[in-house]
This record gives sequence, C-alpha cells and structure tokens, in this order.
Amino acid sequence: MGDKPRDLSPAAAPSRRRFLQSTAWTAGAVATGVGSWVIPAPWANAAAPPIKVGIATDLTGAIGYAGNADANVARMLVKDINAAGGVIGRPLELYIEDTASNESVAVPNVQKLIQRDHVDVVLGGITSSMRNAIKDTIVKRGKTLYIYPQLYEGKECESYIYCTGPTPAQQCDEFIPWLIKNGGKRFAFPSANYIWPHVLNAYARKVVEASGGEVVFEEYYPLDQIDYSATVSKIMNEKIDVVFNTVIPPGVGPFFKQLYEAGFSKRGGRLSCVYYDENTLNINEPYEIEGLASCLDYFRAVDKTDPVSARIQAEYEKEFPGKILLAAGSAATGMYRGIKLWAAAVTEAKSVKREEVAAALDHAKISEAPGGPAEMVPGHRHCKMRMYIAVAKGGNYEIEWKSEGLLDPKEC
Amino acid sequence: MDAALNAVFEILSFGAIIVLVVLGLGIIASMMGIFNFAHGEFVLLGAYTTYLFYSWGLPVWLGMLAAPFVLALIGLVLERLAIRRFYAVPIVAMLGTYALGIIIRETVRMLIGGLYVSIPAPLVASLVIGGVQLPEWRIAILVITALVMAGSYLLLTRTSFGLRMRAALENPALARASGISTDRIYAISFAFGSALAGLAGALVVPIFSLFADLGLRFLIQGFLAVMLGGVGTFVGPVAGAGIIGVLSAALPWAISPVLADVLVFVIAIVIVKFRPGGLISRGRV
Repeated sequence: MGDKPRDLSPAAAPSRRRFLQSTAWTAGAVATGVGSWVIPAPWANAAAPPIKVGIATDLTGAIGYAGNADANVARMLVKDINAAGGVIGRPLELYIEDTASNESVAVPNVQKLIQRDHVDVVLGGITSSMRNAIKDTIVKRGKTLYIYPQLYEGKECESYIYCTGPTPAQQCDEFIPWLIKNGGKRFAFPSANYIWPHVLNAYARKVVEASGGEVVFEEYYPLDQIDYSATVSKIMNEKIDVVFNTVIPPGVGPFFKQLYEAGFSKRGGRLSCVYYDENTLNINEPYEIEGLASCLDYFRAVDKTDPVSARIQAEYEKEFPGKILLAAGSAATGMYRGIKLWAAAVTEAKSVKREEVAAALDHAKISEAPGGPAEMVPGHRHCKMRMYIAVAKGGNYEIEWKSEGLLDPKEC
Repeated sequence: MDAALNAVFEILSFGAIIVLVVLGLGIIASMMGIFNFAHGEFVLLGAYTTYLFYSWGLPVWLGMLAAPFVLALIGLVLERLAIRRFYAVPIVAMLGTYALGIIIRETVRMLIGGLYVSIPAPLVASLVIGGVQLPEWRIAILVITALVMAGSYLLLTRTSFGLRMRAALENPALARASGISTDRIYAISFAFGSALAGLAGALVVPIFSLFADLGLRFLIQGFLAVMLGGVGTFVGPVAGAGIIGVLSAALPWAISPVLADVLVFVIAIVIVKFRPGGLISRGRV
C-alpha cells in the first residue's frame, strides 16, 4: 500500500474526499440507526438493571397508522408498569424499531434489536409476511421470545412464538352462523391474493358448510386491484346473501362502493369483514357500508358496558390524542395483551431468561385488557379472549353479540 | 341485455379513468421527453386538494375545480426549481422525479395519518336504465374525460400556442431561432400536464378514497399506456390508455382476476413487440 504513488490529480482528490465524507455520514447513520427509538428506564441501578422490551412495528409505510398505534400502546403500558414499580423490581426500557411496512428494511432493524440492544423480548410485526420475515432472526438466531399481536390466519406453531391476536376459529366459529341467521345462506368470498385470505377462507368455508350455508364463489384478486365491476356483477347475478370480504385497502374502498351502487345492501345483502375496526370505517361513506358486520376482540362500542375497556381507551386517548386509534384491527389490542401477559409471566418466573419466561407465559393470565380478560392456552401458545360481533350503523359500530366466556383459539 | 349494458358501462368508465390519468403523463412525456415518475403523486395532490376543501367545509366540487389550478402552480414552481435541469438528461429526470414523488407521497401520508379518507362524490344518485344502475358520478367522469381530451387535442392542433408547443418539441433549436421561447413553452407544458394530473386526482378520489399510495397504482398503468401508445404524439398515449384501461376492466369479467392482471402486461408487451415505436409512432399530434 505504502509504495503506491498518491493520486493527486485534481479530478481524483475531491471525489475521494466526497467519498470519505459520504462514507462517514452513512456509517454514522448506520451506527445510530435511522428509525430507532429508545425510551430509557426512569430509574435503574446495579441491583436492578432495566429489562429491555423490543418493539418491531411498522411506524412508516403503507400500514404506518397501525404500527404507530402498537408503539403507542407499548409506550403507555411501559410507562404505567414503571410507575407501579416495574417488573420483579426492575424498570422496563423500551426499544422501538421501524419495520417500515417493508420486509427487507425490517430484518436488519430487528437484527439491531437482537444483536446491538440485546432485548429480552420482541413484540410486533403486523402482516403475516412480516412475521415470517422477522421470526427466525428473533427466535432461532436471536434465541429471544417473540410475541405476535395481530389477528391472523393461524398455524404459527413454532416454539417461543406466542400469538395474542384472534385466530380464524375465534373470528369464524360464532360469526358465520350469526351471518347465516342475519344475512342468508349464499356466501361469496372475494379475497386479496395472499396468505391470510387463502388460509382464513379454507377455515371459513368449512364453518359455512357445517352451518348449512354454501360458498357460491371464492375468488382472488391482485392486492392493488381497484376496479371490482366484474366481481360486483357476479355477486348481484348469483343472488349472494353474504359477502365475506378479505379484499384489503386500497381495493376494499372502491369494492364496497361499487357493491353499494349496484344495490347489494338495498336488496338485503349482508356485508362482512373480520378485520374491519374503527380505522377502516373511514374508507367509505357511512351509508355505503351500513350494516357491515365484523367480529373482533374489541370495539369502541364495548366501552359502554365494560368499564375496564373504557378506562384503557380513555387513558390512551389522553396520552395520544389524534388520528392514531387504539383499535383491534391494527393489532393494538393484541399488543396490549402481549405486553401484559409477558409481564405477568416474568413476574411469575422472577427472571427474564427465555426458558423460564416461556414456561410461565405458557399459562399466563390477565384480568384486564381492552375487550376483556385473556389467558394463554397451555401448550398451544395462543390466547383465549372474549369476542364481539359488531355492525356498522351511521358510521359507528353497535355491538350485536358478545361471547359468554373466553373463546378458544383452537390452534396448534 | 342488462348485464351486457352494465359490463360495457363499467369497462368504459374505468377506461375513462385511466385515460384521464394518462393524459397529463402523455403530454409531458411526448411534448418534453420527460418521464415524470412523480405523475402519480401529482394525481394524489389533486385528490388531496379536494380533500382539503372538503375538510374546510367547502363543497367538494369547488375543490375539484381548484385542484387543476393548484397543481398547475405546483407544477410551474417545480419546473422552475428542478425539472428544467433534467431536460438534457432523461435518466436523471426519471430518478429526480421519482425522488420528488416519494417526498410528496410520504408528506401526504404524514398529513392524513396514513389512513384512508372517504370523500363524497358531488353526484351520488344513479341513473336507472332498464334495470341497470349507472352511478351519475361515473357518467360525469366519462363526459369530463371526453371534454378534456377534445379540449387538449384542439389546444394542440388548432391554437398558435399548440403550434409553438409542437415546434418546441420537434426542433427546439429552430423554434428558438424563430423567436419562440422554448423555456417558457416547456414551463407551461409542464404546468398543463400537472393540471391534468390534478384534475384526474380530484375527479377519481370519490371513487377510490384518499390514501397516500393512490398515485402508485396509476403510475404503472400510465407508463404501460405510454409505452403501448408511443411517445412523441398526443394521440398515442391516449389510445394506449384507452386500451390498457379497457383491458384491465374487461379481462376480469372473462378470466380469473389474478391472471387478468398479468395478461394485460403480456398483451401490451406483445403489441410493443410488433410495433416497437408504439401504436402511433408518427403523426402530427
């Protein structure tokens, strides 16, 4: 290296300097991390070092509204837990990483949580593709616990992965018989072409058929399709009673609009969609989705009869006023349950070691969460919870049915 | 009969939406040789302008009327600040406008909180013709598209400004030698293309609702249309847009929608294979 003559030609010098400058800048950005937030523990000492809670969620990108709600819930809970003395005498320190609605951005960011920050647990991921992209980094290579908070298609049965959102059994077993009673027997399954609708529909079809209904057609569309005239015409011609929709935004807005314009609801048709919560209500004009039925673990309307849910919702709104809502479809309620169940498990295990926490998390219970209490089903790594059926009326939901006890997830 | 009428109406109505979106893109691509990757976001800004008016409690149609003017202004400013530096370097232009698109998209995402916002159409009733429901707003879009298309065509072919515009495109040096300020012509052309994008966004937002990725969906179809129709004429991209719009809406009636999505691209590529210059590669306008 040393014997090489230095190139001092005018063209080379500035570009090399510029290269060094930009390298330094990039290195700096990589080291501090773009899209990382740390909320340090309010107190800590040698005897009680903080417990590190990692949140990996979509703060930016297409589903940023959901990821921000999840991060807000984590901030609120960690603050509450710390104010009450922490967990096993130690404060919680929150590490939030942006998964940016983009799997290729997410994986390196999640690696930061594991390798740089050495978090004790990771909660997050909203879409199934995100969960699949980040789970190995957390569980296999990272040897860390992973809690997935979103409603999903089920079948996630790996060890050390705990799911706190509703499963197809929880969303369909009661809902579909209700739809048959309050809509009719002829179902259509218009769906976005990705894993969640495919697997959910396979389950829903069984329930429809077992309940005496019939799936007249099941059809998949590209994720960004925005014209549904052919589908709407089929729904009208086939005299469909219930549209069990898994088309997602951006397509779902124009689809529901076209259905309304074709006179589906006027004719007595029932619209249903199991991810519809308070966030998605605004996609259409209220009259276009009047009567839409959804089945989730929490709706704002539950607050009227459940003081615990009302208290949590009020606290959230006080801390995070604005457009980012605490709603079930964006995994915010699953995130709430996830953090609480994990904290209960750590308290029981008196440790943050993975094996010990996992053993305690296996049967963890909490009495308070949005929508009602929740408990893990021992050996199944999924969560029992109360479920609600709500119907959209004039731009809000009204609760039509509520489960007696906690419904079994029937997974793994 | 009713079903057929319904199908034809739906297909035409979606075709019109694509034509409306592509008009501005085509004019900028053909007249200035710039592939404006921010075009989808100009459409988005048109939609956002309408939303702003709506959220201030003003009538939606007023927002729709204002959108093209707001976008013309934004287009003009951007052309003066950035786009004009790209004329000599088309590749940089693509990257530059792409970057511009990201900035606009993410800003709008932040402003609307990443959510989907419904905006009511100024006309909500439906015409009923023999048992078929034809939403009035879709009919209005068909009519406005036809008017805008005719207006743009007349502007380019029948006015002295159109003549100067075409001259600046065909031979900039000669145009300048003849006393035409190509600089100004380009700025106005870009503003005009932007205004059309704004109008398109304003008109389609009641159908698709407002969300940050609204423009992205149209961008791909828009470029496919320009590629299919051919760059360098006004009529080319419009014809391309008509074909892409009608194909995308018509194929799902016949075959599986996922297959239809791919088939649109396959058909477009096959056509381009046999007509590499596009459907209309030579012509006056």
